[in-house]
Amino acid sequence: MADLRPILLVEDNPRDLELTLAALAKCQLANDIVVARDGAEALDFLYCKGEYADRTPGDPAVVLLDLKLPKVDGLEVLEKVKGDSLRRQIPVVMLTSSREERDLVKSYELGVNAFVVKPVDFNAFFEAIQDLGMFWAILNEPPPRSLADA
Amino acid sequence: MSDTLTSQQPPRDLDLDACAAEPIRIPGGIQPHGALLVLDPERLTRLQGSANLAEFTGLDLGQDQALDAVAGGKALAAELRRWLAAVDPALLRTVEIAGRTLQVFAHATPQGLIVEFEAPPASEAETLEGLYPRLRQFLDAIGQAADVKAIADAAVHEVRALTGFNRVMLYAFDEEGVGTVLAEDGDGVLPSYLNQRFPASDIPAQARALYVQNRVRLIPNADYAASPITPAASPVDGGPLDLSHAALRSVSPVHLEYMRNMGTWASMSVSVIVEGRLWGLISAHNREPRQVNAQVRTACDILGQVLSLQIEAREQAERNGQRLQLKQVETELLAQLALAQNFEIGLIDNAPLWLGLTNARGAAVVREGRVKAAGSTPSVDEIRTLADMLGARGEELVVLDSIAEVLPAAESYAALASGLLAVPISQIHADYIMWFRPEAIRTIEWAGDPKKPMTPGVDRLNPRKSFEMWREQVRLRSMPWTAAEIDTATGFRSAIQSFVLRRAEERAELTTRLEAINKELESFSYSISHDLRAPFRHIVGYAELLSDRQRDLDPKSAHYLQSIQDAALSAGRLVDDLLNFSQLGRASLAKDRIDMVKLVAEVRRSLSTNSTAARSTGRWATCPGPGATVRWSARSCRT
Repeated sequence: MADLRPILLVEDNPRDLELTLAALAKCQLANDIVVARDGAEALDFLYCKGEYADRTPGDPAVVLLDLKLPKVDGLEVLEKVKGDSLRRQIPVVMLTSSREERDLVKSYELGVNAFVVKPVDFNAFFEAIQDLGMFWAILNEPPPRSLADA
Repeated sequence: MSDTLTSQQPPRDLDLDACAAEPIRIPGGIQPHGALLVLDPERLTRLQGSANLAEFTGLDLGQDQALDAVAGGKALAAELRRWLAAVDPALLRTVEIAGRTLQVFAHATPQGLIVEFEAPPASEAETLEGLYPRLRQFLDAIGQAADVKAIADAAVHEVRALTGFNRVMLYAFDEEGVGTVLAEDGDGVLPSYLNQRFPASDIPAQARALYVQNRVRLIPNADYAASPITPAASPVDGGPLDLSHAALRSVSPVHLEYMRNMGTWASMSVSVIVEGRLWGLISAHNREPRQVNAQVRTACDILGQVLSLQIEAREQAERNGQRLQLKQVETELLAQLALAQNFEIGLIDNAPLWLGLTNARGAAVVREGRVKAAGSTPSVDEIRTLADMLGARGEELVVLDSIAEVLPAAESYAALASGLLAVPISQIHADYIMWFRPEAIRTIEWAGDPKKPMTPGVDRLNPRKSFEMWREQVRLRSMPWTAAEIDTATGFRSAIQSFVLRRAEERAELTTRLEAINKELESFSYSISHDLRAPFRHIVGYAELLSDRQRDLDPKSAHYLQSIQDAALSAGRLVDDLLNFSQLGRASLAKDRIDMVKLVAEVRRSLSTNSTAARSTGRWATCPGPGATVRWSARSCRT
């Protein structure tokens, strides 16, 4: 079992945030959940800048990234991460309300690891979050730290 | 006929060469029914003179001698000085010279003042004053004449009455210079040539040019012996004396022979000039030699000029009338075209107007290889061939009376279309609007066979000897297109071009607007997917969380909570379905192989888990097989 890296949840809508956190709590994951309220904050965390300048170094186990975000858009965050040879190992899952084909195509072009449309049905949503948490935070073997931190 | 007539048949070049060689402006002599004197304009001294000068006038003027210095010369000198002081271009006076009364004409040339002498009118009636009432009458007559033909009839009648010649004809020349006898008046002594044609070569280009400058020519006796000018070389410039504007100018021996061949010993012609072009000639002939004095000639000249103005006015009125009428047709047609889906359909739907534009019997439009035709036209393939040929010629305007002349294969459809009027409507393609006219078989009466070869073995060009009527049947030709019709076609071309251009612009604008609308629609559905869908999701989520926390709700409360969840869920699904539907058209559908058997199984499964499945009464029958796969987008299938 991989060591417990945090899960970075990037979500600006407080209700979505609350529901996602509730779902993650239900999964009873041991990982820390770091919440970023916009794209800029997410990048600060990933690059240990701003209010995260002093955080313990290391990449999150997974980034659950909303598409529509203030300041820096979800797709821009994705582009930045996947375009960075030091960060592109980080698994990024788009978690979005939109099933817009354009966004889907664009996300995969940028190298997203998964694209999940939040189901209306809460149970389905819960299952999806649980699956994501289980897979990326627990089952998925991250690349060797040497590679990730190189 | 007239001056310097040569043999009328091909080779035409030979004719023209011969005419150019014919010194019609500088013949070196004059006709002996008068005398000629060239004077220095300052000193009035003799520069040149005709050999018969002293004999005809009584003025015995030696070389370089002043006019004042000889007996009888004083009065003339005074008359000339008076004229020179004024601004009149020419002088016409009756002057007493050495006891003789003579008509004197003078005009200035770079080679000196050319003074010509002729015998005075025989009677009072032949003076200009005496002729005035006649001219007045003529003016009244033609003012009421209905058409050019009626004016021409009045003119020839009047000229015959004035001159007393046996026969007076009026020729009108066509574009190629072929003369047709439009009107004739005669006493039967000479044969009638009414409605006959004279080939263009009968009056060569050089003579035509001279006739525009000098409107009246008289040959009182075809058997005359010219009186030479002495000295032959002008003391002013050393060249022969230019007699272009002299009334007594001696004419070409070829022309005199032509006259004798026609059986005429006296002839006179008056030019009819319309818009600067030799439109026609009034040509008078007499079997016997006949003199026409200067007053009568002047009257005929005035008559010719009145005729010119009348014809010009009437031709213009006729042309303008036709233009106006065609313009009305064009306006009506363009109004119809504006309503049409495209102009080709508009043209076909309004074929009578389309044909009426140029008084055609058939019309076609060729656009990017597609042919649409109306009325009497060649076949679609033949029209296409025609368009290709026109495209190769690359002309802005094509006016043909005989398509077969340029495209021999067109003979096969001559009865349908012999005349073609075509305008290109595209810079890129061989696209044309064409109008057609059928063959009009006509019989033309020539005064002599215009194609008969010239008499061989004669070193000099021979005027033709036969004026026997020769009938020619003209085939493979349509009635010619008029200037107004051609103008209308050209005007219509620009109208169509701007029409096509406007349509293209409209289409481009429409496309831009459509794109903008699509974009708006897209962002609308995008915002629905985000903003409308999320609240339903939240309602369902919170209701679920609440029911998790309140597990011991009373049945009614539990039912309410469940209802909230169900309602929000179905609203959310509705949004999803709507979005799916709206995205169908623009999704970049990825095509996959789909196993139809699997698909049906999947649908069955999804229906059986659905609450509405109970109401489904569908019957399932699968026919499994290896071929039961199709290529389609999995996504739209599921939708």
